[in-house]
Amino acid sequence: MMSLRLQNMREKLSEFWSVYRRDKAAVVGLAIFLAILAVAIFADYIAPHNPYQRVGLPYQRPSLKHPLGTNDIGQDIFSEVIYGTRASLFIGFLAAISGTLIGTIVGLVSGYRGGKVDEVLMRTTDIWLSIPTLLFAIFLVAVIIRTGGIPMFYSVILAIALTSWPPVARLVRSATLSIKERPYIESAIALGSSATRIMFKHIIPNVAPIILVEVVVRTAIAMLTEASLSFLGLGDPTVKSWGTVLHFAMIKNALILGLWWWFLPPGVMIALTVMSVMMIGRGLELYFNPRLRKY
Amino acid sequence: MKTFLIRRVFSSVITFIAIITVVFLLARMTGDPLAELENDPRISPATIAAIKASFGLDRPLYQQYLNYLFNLFRGDFGYSLHYKEPVASVITQRLPYTLALLIPSITLSNYLAYAAGIELGWRRGSKVDSILMSISMFIRSTPYFWLAIVFLYVFSVVLGVTPLFGALSPGRRFSWTLDSIIDYLWHYILPFTVLTLRGFLAELIYVRNVTVDILGEDFIVTGIAKGLPERYIKRRYVARNAMLPIVTVLGMRYAFIIDGAILTETVFSYPGTGRLVYQAIFNRDFWLLQGAVVIIAASVIVVNLAIDILYAYLDPRVRYR
Repeated sequence: MMSLRLQNMREKLSEFWSVYRRDKAAVVGLAIFLAILAVAIFADYIAPHNPYQRVGLPYQRPSLKHPLGTNDIGQDIFSEVIYGTRASLFIGFLAAISGTLIGTIVGLVSGYRGGKVDEVLMRTTDIWLSIPTLLFAIFLVAVIIRTGGIPMFYSVILAIALTSWPPVARLVRSATLSIKERPYIESAIALGSSATRIMFKHIIPNVAPIILVEVVVRTAIAMLTEASLSFLGLGDPTVKSWGTVLHFAMIKNALILGLWWWFLPPGVMIALTVMSVMMIGRGLELYFNPRLRKY
Repeated sequence: MKTFLIRRVFSSVITFIAIITVVFLLARMTGDPLAELENDPRISPATIAAIKASFGLDRPLYQQYLNYLFNLFRGDFGYSLHYKEPVASVITQRLPYTLALLIPSITLSNYLAYAAGIELGWRRGSKVDSILMSISMFIRSTPYFWLAIVFLYVFSVVLGVTPLFGALSPGRRFSWTLDSIIDYLWHYILPFTVLTLRGFLAELIYVRNVTVDILGEDFIVTGIAKGLPERYIKRRYVARNAMLPIVTVLGMRYAFIIDGAILTETVFSYPGTGRLVYQAIFNRDFWLLQGAVVIIAASVIVVNLAIDILYAYLDPRVRYR
């Protein structure tokens, strides 16, 4: 029994791979992403210095000892960028999962219940969408900081999650609406299935691919939002993410002094990561939605 | 059309009230709005109590809320503790700079993307298409502020052809003389380019995909079968039908470019409303930030209302729904 299930899974995986690998960009994206993930996991071994300790004179140019020089208080920038991978990936992923979860719940309830509930939830979604996302996230972080009680590290994640759910909610809602009308749902209702059972047995498995793609795409967007919030000085200053490195580079005049080794690498890393994640998302979308494969 | 207008204006007002209610409740979650004053040892408790009473903070919450609503509709958005000035006047001083940046940028990027996107969709799968799509994908993966930093570094630090910061050379005030207009444009060009480039690329992909969708429709096949010239199909069939989806996302683009303005103005130290948001964070000026959120949200609502009216004008079906 177990081996049969295993074989089944293996077959599904190889079927998935045979479609996925046809999209060259998606394969390249996956390779880049895995490399970046490896950097995050093995940061302790790759980074030559502890990024939180002063290991040299401040404002040094790149050298063999410090491949990207040192920052204003003598920390090794190369090590900062390596360790930044961890925080940036972690924040992006956690924020994306939380945001998608909120959006999925709102979308499922809204689509399945319909009527007044749907109207109220969709109205809320529209209102949420009419405040620019970053501005709203900035305001939420400011509110959370002023209220206190939540560590600064998580306030950014919370703010991104609370501002990024509306598009997910809309998407899941419209998918739920169309699945709800299918004949097998009608049969399930006729057979006396409860609403919860229909939701978990029939609707969620059918919207799962959409949710998976959304988590991936949202991770890319959340990483960009995190970078922006940290750049503006709303991130946790004690945790090194690419955004916080850029924040300090900016306020310590790296730009005017022409210290490109300080402000270029973190941005290139963000761009590479975001792009690889988006390519993966695109590949998954092609797999789940064959109609897109034409172009 | 009239009932449509009334309904739409009414729902905009409801949206606005909902937003300011959320903002009010969130702000109140943070506790005492005058906490900053209480930490200041130079102010006596009696003075603080008097200030609180003058702001109505000793009254129950619902009265404070009504008071807040009433003040907003009078144009009173609170008091900036950093600038020691009403929030409304701090913001209106800077608004012209931002509007002069955003309106031309949205107009130009949309116009270019509309023209280029249709062409790109028409040539889907070609070399130009795939190269432009890849470039656009990479640029859209860079953080907004970082692209601005790269532009500033290349043009102002390395090449030295554009200024490093501000909207005018230091010590200069804007007046309608040729000199100051040139000075203004000289400072204007980089932030404008960054905003327009990003807006253009985002819109380009969108228009291209919309065009590809339209080209799959049956009426295009009919048009080709009838032997209509290519130019006619492009202009009459594709361009015309691509217009509606473009107008639909205009509101979203506007909201997005505001986020862009916050980051771009911060990088270029451009004295607009976007940088004000950054300064409010930097100075911990919570009341200024709150006022900015309300004013910007109001502008988004007004823009969306205008777009919906435009939409109803372009597509008669909408009016009767």
